[in-house]
Amino acid sequence: MSNPTTSFFQSLARRGHETLLEDATGTIRFDLTHEQGVDRWFVAIERGDISVSRDGGKADCVFHGSRATFDRILAGQSQMYPSWLRNEITTPGDVRLARLFVRLMPAPPGAHHPRDFGRERRRAA
Amino acid sequence: MSDGLVRLLDGNTFVVSEETGDIDASPTIPTGFFSFDTRFLSKWILSINDERVNALTVEEVEYFESRMVVVPTLPAPLVDIGVSAIRDRSIGGSFTEQLTVINHEPKPVDLRIRIDVDSDFADLFEIKDVRNKSGTYYTQVDGGRLRLGYQREAFRRETLVSSTVPARVDEQGLTYHVRLEPHGQWTTDLHVQALGLGGRDLRESLEGRPGRSRAQIRQDLAGWLAQAPRLTCDSPTLGMTYRRSLADLSALLYAPLTGRGHAIPAAGLPWFMAIFGRDSILTSIQALPFAPDLAATTLRMLTVRQGAVLHDFREEEPGKILHELRYGETTAFEEQPHSPYYGSADSTPLFVILLDEYERWTGDATLVRSLERAGRAALHWIDEYGDIMGDGYVWYQRRNERTGLENQCWKDSWDSISFRDGRLPSLPRATCELQGYAYDAKIRGARLAREFWHDPAYADRLEREAADLKERFNRDFWISDGEYYALALDGDGRQVDALSSNIGHLLWSGIVDESRAPKIAQHLLGPQLFSGWGVRTLGTGEGRYNPIGYHVGTVWPFDNSFIAWGLRRYGFHQEAGRIAEGIIDAAEHFDGRLPEAFGGYERTLTRYPVLYPTACSPQAWSTGTPLLLLRTMLGMEPRGEHLVARPAVPSGMGRIELLDIPGRWGRAGAVGRAHPERR
Repeated sequence: MSNPTTSFFQSLARRGHETLLEDATGTIRFDLTHEQGVDRWFVAIERGDISVSRDGGKADCVFHGSRATFDRILAGQSQMYPSWLRNEITTPGDVRLARLFVRLMPAPPGAHHPRDFGRERRRAA
Repeated sequence: MSDGLVRLLDGNTFVVSEETGDIDASPTIPTGFFSFDTRFLSKWILSINDERVNALTVEEVEYFESRMVVVPTLPAPLVDIGVSAIRDRSIGGSFTEQLTVINHEPKPVDLRIRIDVDSDFADLFEIKDVRNKSGTYYTQVDGGRLRLGYQREAFRRETLVSSTVPARVDEQGLTYHVRLEPHGQWTTDLHVQALGLGGRDLRESLEGRPGRSRAQIRQDLAGWLAQAPRLTCDSPTLGMTYRRSLADLSALLYAPLTGRGHAIPAAGLPWFMAIFGRDSILTSIQALPFAPDLAATTLRMLTVRQGAVLHDFREEEPGKILHELRYGETTAFEEQPHSPYYGSADSTPLFVILLDEYERWTGDATLVRSLERAGRAALHWIDEYGDIMGDGYVWYQRRNERTGLENQCWKDSWDSISFRDGRLPSLPRATCELQGYAYDAKIRGARLAREFWHDPAYADRLEREAADLKERFNRDFWISDGEYYALALDGDGRQVDALSSNIGHLLWSGIVDESRAPKIAQHLLGPQLFSGWGVRTLGTGEGRYNPIGYHVGTVWPFDNSFIAWGLRRYGFHQEAGRIAEGIIDAAEHFDGRLPEAFGGYERTLTRYPVLYPTACSPQAWSTGTPLLLLRTMLGMEPRGEHLVARPAVPSGMGRIELLDIPGRWGRAGAVGRAHPERR
């Protein structure tokens, strides 16, 4: 069970609160398909307080997509919004909630702080 | 418009056609039916008995409807026209054309009426060069309808053409064989739908609601105009420009999926029908006394997309406000970074400025409190991520070196920032107006922190930082031999010494030392910068000056509206009035619709403002310009719970009366009258 998706939701559950989601309230259900079936996660957000479960009731927004896509997003190799534009994922329901959740997606590996980038370029010059 | 194109517009769905109504897209003339950054029709050509049509008249009824009368012959003297057609079209739920063909002859005629149809499904970013698209095209004739499609993996866009009168449909278009009795006529309604995922209406899937019907748009426009303050004035040009601006602003509005039904202005037709952070913010500021709801939606919308992580391709950083958001194929497949793209260094401080200005007008403390986290993150961005050199200034240097913008200020073309001799400065660059915005954001952020966020210590800190920034700025940016502020500092710490309109924004921000303001006002109205219509983006003596160079010599109406406002802030009422009057005079030549930019030629030389060749029109912040100029001429400011007016109406403008101005006071009025010129 130690795939990136599972680790992500487990770590989210451990954190319990996300400052970046303090303007969000509602429940997102994740239906992540893979060869063996569908992984389902519920993330309930109450002004930044987060609880994660495997089964829950009504969701305000449903995230449909493959677990492979979600894994790529978690690895910073792809982005949530372009994936949605490509129809690789769909998010029926409260789209604002889905957009806010994007804030929790990690940066791609090797991303620069503008100050470090500037320093690197000046050194190279 | 004088470019021979007819535009229909509803938010980010629009049609650009020739005056005949035909669409025959070429790389240089971007005609077509567009929705959400994709072209859904690249060909839409009417012919009657194999003759292309010529335009007799074009009537632009409203921004979402137009009517063309066309004939299948070249109109010539002494040649009677036997048949004519009326193309009555609108945009809303779909692109609709009611085609009526009339026989003017006393005998029956047999006609072959044909519409040739095609779509290249070009992304707006590839319009100038559509080639080698990665996906596949398909065409289906189904049940009397023509379906054109494009598919790339799960990404799908479809154009569905249908007709109320049954047509003979083939893969290239629709044909009707019609016999018209003497003086008879024939009519069909053609519908063109833009479809996305699962054959659903694209608007419904990307905007959360289907497009509006013509009747609905008409009703919404009437409601919008009825809510706006009422202007009565002596200047017919001002009156016409005001009405036109309100209608155009309404045309540019669209409701993004996250806006919960509220609308924000897209930036400009045809290239920028998308959300731009900077444009939405500045337009919302201009429109605050007229339509304060725009500001609220803009703030909420930009907050949802506020940067959270470091991302080089998108130039994202925590707390940063987006630059541009797109829906097209190149964004979907991450070939272009607009998902969203964050490459602007000014949208983040401007966001704080709008937040404060919005509360000052509306008293909506709830929104200011609910956006505390976003506001603090934006203020934090200024010091942490904007300050690339670690010296207390806001800088930019693109990290996306392939598709990112070289200049990340409002003058975002590659050659906009230069030395007097035309050389381009090294990176990173800190343009002067960015420092002004940062200063203003800190001052305003301090007010928000003290009054709404209950954090006086933070407020004190912001005020200290602002004072310190102002002092350093006046030392480091001041060019002593020219007596103005440098356009920028470059990566080697040099003053980029060209004389530019950017110094006008500094007055708006309040970062200019009182003692230096008279010099700045003198430069702005001086021969190098002032054309007679307005302030040029770059002074005439500068190496790169070109009166029809996008950011290096043209006059931008929006730029001038903020400069005029800044001049009033420092007490230069007459100077502000000259700019306001010049820009309104220019508007007369554009039938009240100020374009994005016009030529920087001397007014006495051309006597009319020269249209910039590819200027966007309508464009949101040009549309907002007359609104901010009205505020400036009437000296409207919120003071406590009241609206205060200190009019300084330029001499040629006569009397201006604006009633029902919405704000924290409910509705209030402001009146001003020109006084005989005093010097």
